[in-house]
Amino acid sequence: MASEIAVQRYRAWYAMLLRLYPRPFRERFGEGIAQTFHDLCLQRRNANRGLFGFVLWIFFETSKGVIMENTTHMTQLSKTMLRAALVALGLLMVPLVASRVVEGWNWPPGAFVFTYVLFFGTAMAYALIARKMGSWAYKGGVGVALVAGFALGWSNMVHVADSENPANLVYFSVLAVGVVGAWLARLEARGLARTLFAMAALLALIAVLLPTGAPPYLNRNMTIGHGVFVALFIASGLMFRHASLAGLK
Amino acid sequence: MTKKDTAQAPLTPAVLHILLALSPGERHGYGIMKQVEADSQGKVKMGPGTLYGSVGRMMEAGLIRESDKRVDPEMDDERRIYYELTGAGRTALEAELRRYRSVVAVAEGRLAYGQ
Repeated sequence: MASEIAVQRYRAWYAMLLRLYPRPFRERFGEGIAQTFHDLCLQRRNANRGLFGFVLWIFFETSKGVIMENTTHMTQLSKTMLRAALVALGLLMVPLVASRVVEGWNWPPGAFVFTYVLFFGTAMAYALIARKMGSWAYKGGVGVALVAGFALGWSNMVHVADSENPANLVYFSVLAVGVVGAWLARLEARGLARTLFAMAALLALIAVLLPTGAPPYLNRNMTIGHGVFVALFIASGLMFRHASLAGLK
Repeated sequence: MTKKDTAQAPLTPAVLHILLALSPGERHGYGIMKQVEADSQGKVKMGPGTLYGSVGRMMEAGLIRESDKRVDPEMDDERRIYYELTGAGRTALEAELRRYRSVVAVAEGRLAYGQ
């Protein structure tokens, strides 16, 4: 009869095998698989039946599952990348066509490549983050946050280049809060809601405290611009909050 | 494949057995495996790799869902995730059983004619 030590040892080895599953699958089912394996081992032990051959079969069977899930994961990732690349290409058509039509729009080729990389990165970020949760509120929150973040980063980059005022770089701290907050929250809806509210609060604070140096007639437009971004971050935060509360029910 | 398509499409043996095992009520992973073994009179032995791979795909297709995490009173004190059939899962199971019945009816008629 197999001892408790043997069962624990097999469980530890099995946990190592489970690490070969793709991360999303492992996070979702890893605990359940390990628990089921432990239950099966205990059942065999309690029935006074040998464990070695049985464990060998389970390892073989699980290895097949590992290969299959990794293959499926890679296929899905390739499809996601292809879709993101096509979406980015579609979005790139806007500046491409505009550079032909609008007078004075003279981007160098490098600017188009840079813009494409930004579009592709944002589309990939949406695809990879939004699939964390099936809820429409979560997906909507991710979409609004990414669009608002992209627009804020882009407009600020252009503004810094035009005005050559390094004080405007402080707006990037809003995006930094978003990245760090999302990382700390591990993309969970509740933490993301707090992150988006923090981004909205920080942006509102910057808008109030930072001297614009702009003529009075531009101040009104800047206030509206800030207000729109704050509203978008709050809307995204509310959607994450809704997703979080729905997930608790 | 949409959820509606999944409910009408033929099922793999593993998916059929899991749906059958869950038809009386919710079960955790080990409970599903034991029920599949009992339903097939020991002929089908499903390992954790096959079981959870199928469970993942069935959840994506909307055939089953996680219910909650709790302790099984008949087992140890570890909390387990339970799975249950959705409406689409029950529809898929009924559609598959109808297909099986029609195949059996054809086969029996043909064998009777052959005799």
